Amino acid sequence: MKRLRLVEFSVDHPKLIVAITIFITILFATQFPKIKIDTNPKHMLPATSDVRVWNDEVDRTFGLYEDVIVLGIVNEKGVFNKDTLKRIKGITDEILKIKGVASRDVNSFTTITNVTAEKGTLRVAPLMTDIPEDDKEIEALRKSLLENPLFLNRIISEDGKTAAIYIPLEKGANGKEVADRIREMIKRQKGDEKYYIAGDPVARDTFGVEMFKLMAIFAPMAGAVMLIVRYFMFRDFFLSVTLMMDAMISIIWSMGLFIGAGIPIHIMASMSPVFLMAIATDSIHIFNEFYFRFREVGNKRTAIIETMKAVGRPVRYTAAATAAGFAVLLIMHIIPVKVFGALVAFGTIILRFLSFSFIPAMFMFVKEEKLAEAARREDMEKGSSRFLKRLAGLGTFAPEKTIFIGAILLLISIAGMTRITVNNNMVEWFKKKSEIRVADNVLNNNLGGSSLAYIVAIAPEDEDMKSPDALRYLEGLQRHLERLPEVGKTFSVVDLIRRINRVIHDDDPASERIPDSKEIIGQYLFLFSMSARPSDLDSLVDYPMKRANIWIQLKTWDAQAMRNVIKAVEEYKRAYRTSLEFRPAGIAYFNLVWNDEVLWDMVKGFILALIVVFVILSLDFKSIKWAIVAYVPLLFTIVLIYGVIGYTGKDFDMPVSVLSCLSLGMAVDFAIHFVSRFRQRLKEQALELGVQSSAAGEAKNLVTRHSSPVTDALLWTAARPGKGIMRNAVLFASAFSVMLFAPLTPYITVGAFIVSMMTLSALMVIIYLPALITLLQGWLLREV
Amino acid sequence: MRRFRTQDSGFKIFIICCLLSIFSFLSFDAIALTAEDIVKRSQEAFFYQGKDFKARVMMKLISKGGQERIRELTMLRKNYGDTGGEQKYFIYFFQPADVKDMTFMVYKYPARDDDRWLFIPALNMVRRIAAQDKRSSFVGSDFTYEDVSGRDIEDDRHEIIKEEKLSDKDCYVIKSTPKAGDVDYSYKISWIDKVNYLPLKEEYYDKKGELYKIFTADEMKDIKGFPTVTKRTMKNLQNGHMTEVVFIKVDYNIGIEDSLFSERYLRQPQRKWIE
Repeated sequence: MKRLRLVEFSVDHPKLIVAITIFITILFATQFPKIKIDTNPKHMLPATSDVRVWNDEVDRTFGLYEDVIVLGIVNEKGVFNKDTLKRIKGITDEILKIKGVASRDVNSFTTITNVTAEKGTLRVAPLMTDIPEDDKEIEALRKSLLENPLFLNRIISEDGKTAAIYIPLEKGANGKEVADRIREMIKRQKGDEKYYIAGDPVARDTFGVEMFKLMAIFAPMAGAVMLIVRYFMFRDFFLSVTLMMDAMISIIWSMGLFIGAGIPIHIMASMSPVFLMAIATDSIHIFNEFYFRFREVGNKRTAIIETMKAVGRPVRYTAAATAAGFAVLLIMHIIPVKVFGALVAFGTIILRFLSFSFIPAMFMFVKEEKLAEAARREDMEKGSSRFLKRLAGLGTFAPEKTIFIGAILLLISIAGMTRITVNNNMVEWFKKKSEIRVADNVLNNNLGGSSLAYIVAIAPEDEDMKSPDALRYLEGLQRHLERLPEVGKTFSVVDLIRRINRVIHDDDPASERIPDSKEIIGQYLFLFSMSARPSDLDSLVDYPMKRANIWIQLKTWDAQAMRNVIKAVEEYKRAYRTSLEFRPAGIAYFNLVWNDEVLWDMVKGFILALIVVFVILSLDFKSIKWAIVAYVPLLFTIVLIYGVIGYTGKDFDMPVSVLSCLSLGMAVDFAIHFVSRFRQRLKEQALELGVQSSAAGEAKNLVTRHSSPVTDALLWTAARPGKGIMRNAVLFASAFSVMLFAPLTPYITVGAFIVSMMTLSALMVIIYLPALITLLQGWLLREV
Repeated sequence: MRRFRTQDSGFKIFIICCLLSIFSFLSFDAIALTAEDIVKRSQEAFFYQGKDFKARVMMKLISKGGQERIRELTMLRKNYGDTGGEQKYFIYFFQPADVKDMTFMVYKYPARDDDRWLFIPALNMVRRIAAQDKRSSFVGSDFTYEDVSGRDIEDDRHEIIKEEKLSDKDCYVIKSTPKAGDVDYSYKISWIDKVNYLPLKEEYYDKKGELYKIFTADEMKDIKGFPTVTKRTMKNLQNGHMTEVVFIKVDYNIGIEDSLFSERYLRQPQRKWIE
């Protein structure tokens, strides 16, 4: 009862407690200006992770860029006219001047290397150095673009209506900033052309920034809604504000601590204020009980101490369960996941500490008349309490039926769960009509695709990549990969050699093939490297000619698409034996690994949290049986939600994975409150009943299913602490429903998930716990 | 006999240089050189020295990751006119191994596109190569054709921005800004040795005004009285790529015949010139 001494101290020295709390809060708040934000989801994998090391190596070997922005220029009348071409040239020139753009390797009509033969002269030069003057020249340009497989679907669409500019970024450049500069510039353009900006860096950096921005908008908004809803629940503005402060203080303390320690705040950790706000609502049980008690005893101080005696234990254990649920994330591999877990776990502990000090102290400032007025409404026979009693009655009076329905629901949900795919698609984090999604769609429909992957072919020896056999193998593999619906275009040194061979032989289409000798291939490559930009060749083969790089443009950012590509490569390798080795790389591959590592880390964390929560439940109830019973509504809720996710076809992505942990921490709270308070009530009743039955002697005969101590206690629990549970759920749901209107889908997911989870788990607890307890009372209550 | 003559002309140049420097020292203000004059003298010293020229060129192309590509070639040059005038180049490749026997020929004209021809031994075929861009890479290195054979003086506006010492050598520092916009850099700063007019260092600034390429003359030798840069480096700061060039077996005024610069010798170069 050490904690209760803290409560007593707090109610006796409320001013001191509040002053200390505010002082510490200010102390932590001073750390905020030091905040280091990392909006790059990529950084969730450490720089030393295999995929980042390998991708860096591939980037170095082939002089590739980590990030490329694609600008699509669409003219419905076709881009082959003087005006559009002039604009393409003007825009390209402007882009070359933007800071952060790797100008030397921008690929546009005016910069891309073209290999042609004109009247016996071999020409390796940028495709369009001057704007064509007349129809004849325009026609020639059209031909050289559309008939060249190196350009088709890459910088020009088959219908000639879409042109693209590929804009690689220097290391460390911010994709959103560059994209914003391009946007400004294209706004100044006149004419019929439409412009679309796509590419991973735009999505990633925009997402990162938006995520933080939205956090700044929606966290306060959710807070405000909670404040209002709370006011309507208790009709006391002062106490509503207290609850709000409770959440704010814990956010400031925990964020302040982490910022002060110099830990960068990633996207995931940026969501922690919302989480803490959610967890803070658990204090509502204190308020709930307080008003009932105050009505009964009429004295503020006594009411507080009695309240804390009654709810102290469940409040402590729910905190322990929630904190543990997040703390398990600490043993995961991914640093931002750890930071997130630690941040929320720490905040949860702060919250509970405040529940025993700050909140009781704040109660002391409220006038008793106001409390009395508010408490008058807390009647167990009226309104919501009656409704809750009726709900609990379903389980209590028809437990078999209720459980049977539950079992069917459970089976259906499990079937749904099997349909869940673990997938992440960053572009889909934006809404369908958002600029980024639209741009991505346009480019994916008209060109080869905006998501880029590489397959690096590694030969056993240097110089092997010049052999006709190796190149023909690559050629076959490319054709095989192009059969996948997700693959829009592939491109490798093979295409270049075929092109040169054709051009050397007087542009004879029959010569568009791999020549038969290693010498010819070597000399072609040398010839090409003499005139082209260094990167033109470097991006396709390494210096010793041991490795070749196949570029693969994908039409979707689904992690699954890359998985299919890797599978197709393996298939091909099985079907046709080779000494070549193939390894995937590139941003699409990174996303796949990120998807697997981060999400599976979260899944592992979630499963571990399930176990830890069970242990805490057993400790709390000092009984494994009760732990199992309390666990059922939790599991049921989770299975039901994942079942729905499975049926709707929503992927198990990052937002969902983060929420899983929260759901666990929250849903278990309700069960803890219900079971603890039910058992307390039962004990109290037994004392009362014991007195009564010894007096009446016949009491035993009165015990039927419709009126037994268990039934009474269940209905009482549903009506009184149940009201706290319902209030908690409503509060939560209303606050988070705000997020349904956010422009980023992860927010919508968070909103929808929390709303449904809270409502469901509250219902599960109030309906299924009574049903289970009624059915299993013999087994459960034997030693009670 | 010839050897004697060349020594003789080297000696003459030496005397002239001495006189010039004394003269300029005595009345510096009176005959202050314009930026154009300095650039012209620099081109003369760097690209037009002697009647003709021969060197075995070892090029090392080094990628950011430290991978290396080797180019080994013999370069022959003959002047047809004064500084800034026509020149012909003949290049024979020894390395990389698979391009051995490949030859390359350039007719360089002032103020117009070069003519270039390449012999592809594996196909036994001579192909003319279009060359409209003098700023394109020379055999895949960080040097451009202009860096090898000189840029038309009239293409830039030149100004002396200061005079300063660079590793103990007095230099003119010249800023050259291309008049046309279709060049890969926005301006170049050159440190030109006041004594022999060789460029010791050049800095190229890109369109965003950031330093992007640096040329350095790393080793100088006097060959037949001609101060010659025998080791040079061009470093691209943006892509981390670098090319080191070493000239060995440098010689001047060896009497290269006009007939060398023909398709016949492109197909079958004479040993005596390429070795």
